[in-house]
Amino acid sequence: MSDLHPNPHTDTPPVVLLIDDSQFVHRLLDARLRSESIVLLSAEDGKRGLEVARGEQPSLILLDLDMPVMDGFETLRELKEDPCTKDIPVIVLSGMNSSQDKVAAFDLGAIDFVTKPFELTELRARVRSSLKMSLLLRMLAQKAHIDGLSGLYNRPYFDEKLRAEYDRTVRHGQALSIAMIDIDHFKSVNDTYGHPAGDTVISGVANLIMRETRSFDISCRYGGEEFALIMPETEPQQALQVCERVRMGCEKLAWSRHPARSVTLSVGIVGVLDGDTVSMTPEGWVEAADKNLYKAKQQGRNMVVATGIDGQPIQLAKAG
Amino acid sequence: MNAPDPNAFSLDINDPEDAELIEYFLSELPTRVDTIMAAFTNDDYQGLARIAHQLKGAAPGFGFPQIGVQAAKLEQQIKGVADPTESLETLRSEVDQLVSLCNSYINPA
Repeated sequence: MSDLHPNPHTDTPPVVLLIDDSQFVHRLLDARLRSESIVLLSAEDGKRGLEVARGEQPSLILLDLDMPVMDGFETLRELKEDPCTKDIPVIVLSGMNSSQDKVAAFDLGAIDFVTKPFELTELRARVRSSLKMSLLLRMLAQKAHIDGLSGLYNRPYFDEKLRAEYDRTVRHGQALSIAMIDIDHFKSVNDTYGHPAGDTVISGVANLIMRETRSFDISCRYGGEEFALIMPETEPQQALQVCERVRMGCEKLAWSRHPARSVTLSVGIVGVLDGDTVSMTPEGWVEAADKNLYKAKQQGRNMVVATGIDGQPIQLAKAG
Repeated sequence: MNAPDPNAFSLDINDPEDAELIEYFLSELPTRVDTIMAAFTNDDYQGLARIAHQLKGAAPGFGFPQIGVQAAKLEQQIKGVADPTESLETLRSEVDQLVSLCNSYINPA
């Protein structure tokens, strides 16, 4: 999954999707998995199963192999070919007991195999262990994208998403803004109050950024005391409003390690409007946002400088 | 066919969850029997194989392993031959055995 958010706290029970053409099996598993604290969704054929899998993103799929019209093998193949379902683990259910079928199912990407009629304790154990594995894999995949200190996305993830969002903007002419955020005089916080205080400032600013940005903004720690925001479908004017909120929020933060010393941010933004032609590379875009950040520093810090991709300055619209 | 022994249930009728499953299966069984007979009468061997396959996989889970065994024999009788009509009498006998077995649960003597 590429769209996980930092720090997900999921207390909701895992969703398991059962794809089987037999109502008996639905009824049986519904009763027998009731004690497992899962949410069981049903689909009675492969086509419907694919729809539900795409829409509901279950943590696990139990898939019958022998179904009319679209059989389990074909359903499995489609699940594994679709980027939005390919990472969902699939346990294959089947009355067919030949090792050929098992091997074929594993080759197509199934992670386990249960034979009908079900041995119930075995089925429960396999469901449980697959769910555990799926959770660990998700956490691992997510961890690879998360910066340890700030909890924001890390630099490799930023580079990956920048390329993807840039391509989307070039292809569809959608608005996009990139913001670079730097903590003012960070070095002196470190030097005066020590590195633990500096770390607290980094994670404090990261929390603020997470709180003040929107759910679809991609907030990253770019390096050191610098942060970067990829703001999809966002014109520079809107990006400016969001970043102003972050800047003002930071001014007001209280720091227990240095109550008398406030922390401020400088921000540089470059964005394109809907339908604008993009005349620079993704790297050039980041460089241009960095230049605006540098201007903000030069003009006295604690400030947001935004321009369009053509270099035209963008001013904050007056409310009302 | 011997009358099935209620003790042959691998489920426990006194357990609420088991009882719910047994009750559900028995309530669904008459419809399945009708479907089996209709499929056989209409020479719908694919349909017959399908319902036999479903009963084979599910019946044991509901505590009716004998239905599972007989359904497996019927499925094999259809899928194991190139043309089921060539051994129509054997097929009829497997269908009859499955139907009377199901009926013995639906209307216990």
